Amino acid sequence: MNIFNREMRANRKSLIIWCVGILFIVGSGMAKYAALSNTGDSINKLMADMPSSLQALMGIGSLDLATVDGYFGLLYLYLVIMASIHAAMLGATMISKEERDKTAEFLFVKPISRTTVITAKLGASIVIVIVFNLVTLLSSIVFVDFFNTGDSVTAEVALLMGGMFMMQLLFLFLSAAVAAFVKNPKLSIPISTGILLSTFIMSVGIDLKSNLEGLKYVTPFKYYEAKNLLHDGGFDEGFVVLSLLLMVGSILTTYIFYRKRDLHI
Amino acid sequence: MNVIEVKNLTKTYGKARGISDVSFNVEQGEIFGFIGPNGAGKSTTIRTLLSLIHPTSGSATIFGKDILKDAPEIKMDIGYLPSEVFYYDNMRVKDLLKYSASFYKKDCRKRMNELAEIMELDLNRKIDDLSLGNKKKVGIVQGLLHEPKLIILDEPTSGLDPLMQHKFFELLEEENKKGATILFSSHILSEVQRLCDRVAIIKEGKIIKLEKISTLKENNYKKIHIETSTEIGKDYFAIEGVTDLVVDRHKVDFLFRGDINVVMKKIATTHIVNIAVEEPDLEEIFMHFYEKEEAY
Repeated sequence: MNIFNREMRANRKSLIIWCVGILFIVGSGMAKYAALSNTGDSINKLMADMPSSLQALMGIGSLDLATVDGYFGLLYLYLVIMASIHAAMLGATMISKEERDKTAEFLFVKPISRTTVITAKLGASIVIVIVFNLVTLLSSIVFVDFFNTGDSVTAEVALLMGGMFMMQLLFLFLSAAVAAFVKNPKLSIPISTGILLSTFIMSVGIDLKSNLEGLKYVTPFKYYEAKNLLHDGGFDEGFVVLSLLLMVGSILTTYIFYRKRDLHI
Repeated sequence: MNVIEVKNLTKTYGKARGISDVSFNVEQGEIFGFIGPNGAGKSTTIRTLLSLIHPTSGSATIFGKDILKDAPEIKMDIGYLPSEVFYYDNMRVKDLLKYSASFYKKDCRKRMNELAEIMELDLNRKIDDLSLGNKKKVGIVQGLLHEPKLIILDEPTSGLDPLMQHKFFELLEEENKKGATILFSSHILSEVQRLCDRVAIIKEGKIIKLEKISTLKENNYKKIHIETSTEIGKDYFAIEGVTDLVVDRHKVDFLFRGDINVVMKKIATTHIVNIAVEEPDLEEIFMHFYEKEEAY
């Protein structure tokens, strides 16, 4: 419990800064909806005239930006990217920082197993990710509701946040596994964020080229897309199972490799 | 009873050398020195014993328990001070020490305050603001606050001023008297000479000598300096057992190993005005071992 508490305290300031950033993005993003909603359907025509590559990059796809849930679906992509970056950096840092900051010689000579250390650190990371998600969920509900003039879309917002939570957990555990696997602790963040960026670009590529459709299982950015969650009425079971398998695989990799690891001091 | 038993411990880093076939025992209650130049494998051995890194082959036990399988249990009674100390940002000394104490199932507050007083450590300061020497003091206090049965020190005195080094050695001797076993690694021979009962000399990853400090000194050369009233022949002291002979008219210097009576008889037949027979210090013995090894 002492390691868990220490990690919560160490990450408090950065979590507050991220939460303020999220509040700002949700608040300012939804404020723009107030202006857009007055233009009626013309916004969709404007977007449709944009090059398809730009549409794919912005994550517009088949979303109806004139509706509040459609517009929030667009904002959702940016929130997911932010949340995924946060989770990837958190997972990689949590595992590699004792070696990077040379505190490993303090912590790992204490009467605790590496399994205990990893469990405490992953536990703290999950709580941090939950707080991040709850702040996003609550601020989204409040701001969407404030600018919404039609029926309540709280259920849709909650569904999207569920998708974002799965993405956060996926990148958290994937990055933790990367950090446990790579020998040089300083490389864990660049590799983790590199994976994130390349899978995002891959998801854009899939939107542009239909013959890349098969790659949708490789990039988590295709697992919980707003257009699918909103239009298909919920999570795709196949992607949920795939996500859970990836998470379990990553967690096992983290424990197995970290227990065998020669600490880089 | 042996507190540490190391059997054929080998650690390689790919093609790079770590340690090779290292074996030694540390008995309960002794202060065991582990000496060798930088890069000889002292820290690698210690980090393997603490399961920070895993051995390529061989095994070791501490308190009769396997260093890998029983690592957490063993570490309950180990205090460790690394050569360089690093701590978490934005922590006060007392928070760090409380965090360190929280891993042991006992109340360490009293000992923590005692140690801080001995080492003249301000518990309320931020660790980031401390000098290297003061950070080292934090390391000493956090390594000893749980009153460990085995204290492992890896080049512990770097950064400490002579006065603090003296206090630190007194503290270690006190802990040793209370029953703690100490493994002390250093490349500063006078430290080892002052504190240790036995010593292992490590060179290029291999133990080249394992000896009692007293035997190491007894079995070796005496430094002899003689001043005579008359000029002395250059070959007068060129007898068996004499090395490094330097004759400068009335002054003779040499190292002697063997039956001291032989050389004393030679000295008795000359008219001397001054004589000094000195124990060589560990530095000279150490250099002797290194040179001898290199000759092979």
